[in-house]
Amino acid sequence: MLWYKSWLETRWRFLIGLGVLLCSAVATVYTYPQVLRLLPLVSPQGHGALSAEIRQSIELSRHYRGFIWLQWFRQNSIDWTTVFAILLGTSGVVSNSRQTGFTLSLPLSRTRVAGVRGAAGLGELFALVFLPSIVVPLLSPAIGQTYSMADTLIHGACLFVGATVFFSAAFLFSHVFDDVWRPLLLAFALVVAFAVLDKALHAPAIFSVMSGETFFRTGRLPWPGLLACVAASGAMGWITLRIFMHRDL
Amino acid sequence: MLFRPNASSGLPIYLQLMEQVKHAIETGALRPGEQLPGIRPLAEQLVMNPNTVAKAYRELEHEGVIELRQGSGAFVSRNAAIRRAPDSLRAAQSMVASTVQRLRGRGLGDDEIRRLVEAEIARIPEKGGRRG
Amino acid sequence: MGESLIIETSGLRKTFGEIEALRGLDLQVPAGSICGFLGRNGAGKTTTIKVLLGLIRATGGEARVFGLPAGEERASVEIRRRAALVSEAEDLYGAMTVEQMIRFTASFFPGWRSDLQARLLRRFDLRSGTTIKRLSQGMRTRLALLLALCRGAELLVLDEPTSGLDPAAAEEVLQALVTYIAEEPKTIFLCSHQIAEIEQIADRVAIIDHGRLVLSGSLDALQRSFRRISMVFDRDAPAVEFRGAGVARVRREGRALTVFSNDGGDAVLDQARALHPVSVEVAPVGLKEIFFETIAAED
Repeated sequence: MLWYKSWLETRWRFLIGLGVLLCSAVATVYTYPQVLRLLPLVSPQGHGALSAEIRQSIELSRHYRGFIWLQWFRQNSIDWTTVFAILLGTSGVVSNSRQTGFTLSLPLSRTRVAGVRGAAGLGELFALVFLPSIVVPLLSPAIGQTYSMADTLIHGACLFVGATVFFSAAFLFSHVFDDVWRPLLLAFALVVAFAVLDKALHAPAIFSVMSGETFFRTGRLPWPGLLACVAASGAMGWITLRIFMHRDL
Repeated sequence: MLFRPNASSGLPIYLQLMEQVKHAIETGALRPGEQLPGIRPLAEQLVMNPNTVAKAYRELEHEGVIELRQGSGAFVSRNAAIRRAPDSLRAAQSMVASTVQRLRGRGLGDDEIRRLVEAEIARIPEKGGRRG
Repeated sequence: MGESLIIETSGLRKTFGEIEALRGLDLQVPAGSICGFLGRNGAGKTTTIKVLLGLIRATGGEARVFGLPAGEERASVEIRRRAALVSEAEDLYGAMTVEQMIRFTASFFPGWRSDLQARLLRRFDLRSGTTIKRLSQGMRTRLALLLALCRGAELLVLDEPTSGLDPAAAEEVLQALVTYIAEEPKTIFLCSHQIAEIEQIADRVAIIDHGRLVLSGSLDALQRSFRRISMVFDRDAPAVEFRGAGVARVRREGRALTVFSNDGGDAVLDQARALHPVSVEVAPVGLKEIFFETIAAED
């Protein structure tokens, strides 16, 4: 019944996250007709990076696929998914809750306790990524557009793999610190660090992998990025288990 | 009829329980052949460690005061060795009464009298019997 | 003796940073006993319990429960299958109901005693649908006790189970423990500040101070061997050193001299009489005083 307990402890964060993302997905789809109408009216003049970006966005938005990538997979979905990945990674973790005494006096190995908690969290993250994303191909006909389910699933996979990095980081921090705030702060600091690096280096980093940019532009999956994310998540997960096994509680 | 021993008095509880049983037999509350409460119910009733009750019963058996019958329980011995004529108990009571009155007459308070008696009892080297 | 030891530690050490919580603890708890574990706050009681149940790893020495090494992961899981911890009951899952908590716990124990569960639910007046965070502390302790007893644990480790409970509730806890141990041979390791309760139900006592065991043995034996010998002199009490083993403490106050002996007091009595005091009194000593005098002797 460890799974059930994990569910009880994370269900609100999960359900709220799911609600937020579903609404966001629906809103994104329904915004498109309006965007289409406004596009011809916008023609940014000017030079500079910002203007170039805006022109690029406009170009992409002319096609539905580009619009969805831009608005959903590169923005709304990533933003919210990252936030909730962190929230899921920090909730109900045994070592910084007051329930330590009881749970760890049960005949359970620490690996099992942390393992089930982590797996349950990842499962919820998976649902949080795919369910809202599937809304897009299902709802698009309502506005007279189509979106490929295959594309959805591939982008979903990229998003999920990238999000697990933040989940694992939050999970790791939660097992290292006893309070509720430090893991959250550190995890969000990590997000900020990546965002800053992204801008500073102009090199495709984690957010690019999560949005599946390479796939969008070239049709090829960003294998190196995906593997790096899997490796990072796996490493952090393994470290978490090791730390948790040896901690005094 | 058997009541809670005073756990904080410093006197081992099992000894107190033994004394209670012996006293009950002396005053006739328990008669030869009668059954004593079972170890487990008595422990639950007095909220005592069952091992302690068992120890008291074992010592009483060793002293011949009670018999432990396998499967049936504990019974007062037919020839309980500590049986004294009620007369001698009454005689003892009057001896104590007169001593207490005399000491009071000398100006000793009740608490002092009690302490003197306890100290005297504690002082006498424990003769015979298994106390180990 | 041939008694098996349910709990056995040898030279157990635990350091937290700079603090030495345990400095070579040698504890032995035989099977079938109720052992009271006494000590000041910070003496190392909770640390010891946590080491025994695998919540904490010792820095040195050995700890065994059921003969299994408490520091090894797999052995520790086995230990926790057969031992239950009732600590200050604030770590039950607040969001669950009584019933959910029971079902959750029962799912880990194939030998769950449903008969005992029904009996205790009734006796403790616990309602299945109540959320745990709405329960009073007394009720939570009762639930924690129910969970520990229905697990069929051979060893119950209790850490201040009656703290914060009114006398009636505390008595119920003791009664549940006594009933449990009466039904089948079990061992209870009871950490408590309530010395009167320990005197009431324990048959063994272990006193820990500054991370070490300073006194241990059967409660009966301790009560038989501890004596307070009080002497009054007609002049200032002589500053005599009482010789020999068995002297726990000597206190001098004006014309009064008090010696605590843990050896029956006979040797002290002889020496005392030789000093020609005006009066000599020998009195038995309750566990509270034994505790204080033993601890004071260590300071």
